[in-house]
Amino acid sequence: MANKNHQEQLRNYAQAVVKVGLNLRVGQRLIITNAAARGVPPAARPLVYEIAKAAYAAGARYVEVIWGDEEMLRIRLQNAPADSFGEYPKFHISAVMDMIKNGDALLSISANDPDVFAGLDAERVGALQKSHLQNNQEIGIQVSRNAVNWCVVAAASPAWAAKIFPDLKPDEAEEKLWRAIFETTRATQPDSVAAWMEHIQNLGKRGKYMQAKKYTALHYKAPGTDFTLGLPQGHRWVSARMPAENGVDFTANMPTEEIFTLPDRHRAEGTVTATFPLSYGGNLIEGFIVTFENGRIVKVTAKKNEAILQKLIDTDEGSTRLGEVALVPASSPIAQRGHLFYNTLFDENASCHIAIGRAYRFTLTGGEELNDEEFIAAGGNVSLNHVDFMIGSPQMDIDGIQEDGSREPVMRQGEWAFEV
Amino acid sequence: MLTKYADVVVKVGLNLRNDQRLSIRGIIEDAPFIRKVTESAYKAGARYVDVLWADEPSARIRLEHADFETLTEVPEWTLSRFEEYYKRGDAELAISSSNPDLLNGIDPERIAISRKARLEKLVEPLRKYENVSNWCVVATATPSWAKKVFPNLPVEEAQARLWEAIFNVCRIDVPDPVSAWKDHTEKLEKYKDYFNAKNYSALQYKAPGTDLTIGLPKNQVWNGAQESFKNGITCTVNIPTEEVFTAPHKDKADGVVTASRPLNLLGTLVEDFTVTFENGRAVKVIAKKGEDDLRKLIETDENAVRLGEAALVPNSSPISQSGIQFYNTLFDENAASHIALGSAYRSSIKGGEDMTDEEFAANGGNKSLIHTDFMIGSGKMDVDGICEDGTREPVMRDGEWAFDV
Repeated sequence: MANKNHQEQLRNYAQAVVKVGLNLRVGQRLIITNAAARGVPPAARPLVYEIAKAAYAAGARYVEVIWGDEEMLRIRLQNAPADSFGEYPKFHISAVMDMIKNGDALLSISANDPDVFAGLDAERVGALQKSHLQNNQEIGIQVSRNAVNWCVVAAASPAWAAKIFPDLKPDEAEEKLWRAIFETTRATQPDSVAAWMEHIQNLGKRGKYMQAKKYTALHYKAPGTDFTLGLPQGHRWVSARMPAENGVDFTANMPTEEIFTLPDRHRAEGTVTATFPLSYGGNLIEGFIVTFENGRIVKVTAKKNEAILQKLIDTDEGSTRLGEVALVPASSPIAQRGHLFYNTLFDENASCHIAIGRAYRFTLTGGEELNDEEFIAAGGNVSLNHVDFMIGSPQMDIDGIQEDGSREPVMRQGEWAFEV
Repeated sequence: MLTKYADVVVKVGLNLRNDQRLSIRGIIEDAPFIRKVTESAYKAGARYVDVLWADEPSARIRLEHADFETLTEVPEWTLSRFEEYYKRGDAELAISSSNPDLLNGIDPERIAISRKARLEKLVEPLRKYENVSNWCVVATATPSWAKKVFPNLPVEEAQARLWEAIFNVCRIDVPDPVSAWKDHTEKLEKYKDYFNAKNYSALQYKAPGTDLTIGLPKNQVWNGAQESFKNGITCTVNIPTEEVFTAPHKDKADGVVTASRPLNLLGTLVEDFTVTFENGRAVKVIAKKGEDDLRKLIETDENAVRLGEAALVPNSSPISQSGIQFYNTLFDENAASHIALGSAYRSSIKGGEDMTDEEFAANGGNKSLIHTDFMIGSGKMDVDGICEDGTREPVMRDGEWAFDV
C-alpha cells in the first residue's frame, strides 16, 4: 500500500485540502475531528499526518486532532446503563467552539464504518444519537452560517472499504477505496490545486445560471418520483466556493459536484423514491419512499431499517421537513464509478439529493442575520438534523417553474438541460 | 490474558466504584487494551467510559514542523477537559506505553520549550487534583516500545515477548491475580509501616559510583502500593508497583550518585549519567548520552535541581529479576531504588495536602514543574538509615532488605 504513487497522491490530496478546501491562513489554528465517531478514526492517520505537515508549512499556529474509536461507541451501546446516554465529553464541543470564536479552521475527516451499529438495539442507538445531536447543536449553527472556513473530507478505512468492495481482499479493497478518493478529489492530477480552481469555476457558472432564473419551484419526475418542491424568495444557489464570516473563501466538501440551495419548508408535494441506500448513524436505510404534503413528511416506507428512518423523522418538528435541495448530473465523476460509497460525502455527489432537517443559513440571502422565527417565516427550516438522501438517476427529469407558472427544463435524463 | 489484565486494572488499580465515570488517557496503539478495560469497567458498573486519545507521530510532526514561537501554545480546553473529569470525581486511567525514541533527533531546545509550556499551563494547574479521585497508571506492549526493548526480534515477536513480561511482572499470569495483588500490597504496607515507625533523619546510599546522603523531613510519610483519595476510594495507583517512598528534605542531599539504568525522558534517552549534589542541589551532571536533554530538564525551573522523592525497591523485585531493561519509568522504577528530581508528593509530608506552598517548603517539601524519577539501585547497593541521634541501621545490603517485617 505504501508505494511511491500512493504517498505522492496522499500529499497532493493533503495539499488540496489545506490550500483549497480550508484555504488555511498564516497564524490560523486548525482542529481536525469527526463528530459522529467522537473523533477521527485511527485509519485516517496517514492522511492526518500529511495534512498536519501541509498546515504547518502553510503557517498554521497549532494543529489539534481529536481522535476517536468507533468500536468504543459499539462497546458503550452494548454495555452502558440505559440512562447514561446523555453523558458526553464536553471538551469535544468546547474545543471546537473555542476555535470558532477565535476565527480558526475546522476539518472533519470521515472514515466511518457504515455498519458500525448494525444489529444493535434501535432504542439505545437512537438515545445516543439524540444526545449527540443536542450536544452538537451550537456547532451546527455556527457551521451553518459559515462562521469560519471549514471542510469535510474522507480517508479510507478497512471497514468502510470492505463494505464497498466485499469481494476483494482487505488490502486491495482499501487501496481501491484510496484510489477512488484520490481520483474524485483530483489528487491524481499533477497540480491538484489548479485542477480544483478550474472545477470550482465551472460549478460556479451553473450556480449563477440557476440564481438568475429565480425559479419558484422545481418539479421532479422519475420512476417512483413525482414531486414538486418550492423555493423561497431570496434563495441563494451555492456551489464549491463560499466566503466565511472570518473572511476566508473555502470549499466545504471534497469531493463536491453539487449546486444547492434551500427549499421552502412549507412547500413540498408528492412522492420521492430514494435511489441510493442512506447511511445514517451507523445503519443503512434501504429502499425507501417518502411522501410530502404542505412541506411535511406524511408517510415513509423502507425495505430495511424503516424504524431508524422513522426515529430520524421523529427527532423534532424540523426533521419532518426539508432543508436542502441539490442538483448533480448523473454523469458526475462519482456516479461514473458505478458503485455506492455508503458515505454521504461521496454518494450525495453522485446524485441529485434533498436533505431532511436544517437549512444552511447561507443559502438564504441575509439568512445569517435572522433569528429562528424569522428564518422559518422566510421558508428556512430549523432542526437538530441535516440528513441528505439521494433521489437522482439517469431517468430523472427536472423542470424549473417560474413565477408565472411557465416551465423550463433544468435536467433531462439526469443531465443538465442548459448550457453555460 | 488481556481480559485478566483489564480486570486487575479495574478492580485493583482503579477499584472502580459502581456508577462512577472513567476517563482513560492512552495512545492509539493502546486501543485493543483500552477496549478490554472499557468492557471490564462497564461490567463493574461504570456509568461512562471516555478516552482522551493521544497520537505520538502527530506530536513529533508538531515539534518538527511548527514554527518555534508557536511551540508554547497550549489551548485552554486541553486543561478544562481534565478538570471536567476531576471536578466530578471521575476515575482516571493513564496508559504509559510511549516510544522511548519518539523524539530522537529533534532539537532539545524545541522539546524543552514545548515541554515547559505544557508543564506550566497543564501539568501544574492539574496538580491540585492529585488526591481528588482514584487514578492508576499502567502500560501496554506497543510495537515501537517492544522493538526498543527487544531490538533483535521481529516486531510481532517483540510485542508478544513484552506482553509476556508485562503479564509476568504485573502478577497477571497467576491463577488468581486479584488475590495475588492483595497479598502483595499487604506486604508492601508492612515495609511502609516499618519506615514510618523508624522516622529516620537521613538515608545513605553506597554503591559503585555512588555515595549519597539524603536528609528526610521530620514530618515524612512513607507511602506504597495503595493510596486513599478524597472521593473515599483506596486503590493501587501503579501497576506494577514494588516501591515504598517518601520525600527527601529539599535542602539536604550531598554526594554523588550514578544512575543504574537509562532514563526515558518523554521520548529521548539519557544514558550512563552521574549527578553531584550539594545542600540539596544538583550542581553537576555528566551523561554519555542525552546530557543536553538532562541539563535542559534541571533548568526547567529553580527547584528542578532538587529532589522530590526517595524510593526503595529490592533488587529481587520481579521487574529486576526479569533482566529486562524496559526504557519505561513505570517499570524501571520498580526494578531499582530511585530518586526523583523535582516536585514532592503532598502526601509524602504529614498534613501536606492542606499546606500552603510556603508551609510545604518550610517542612522540606520541594515544588517544581517537573517530577522525574531516575534509577540508582542495584545488587551492589547498600543503604543505611540514620537516626536522629546519629546512629546507623542497615536498611538494604547488596540491594536487598536488611530487616524483616
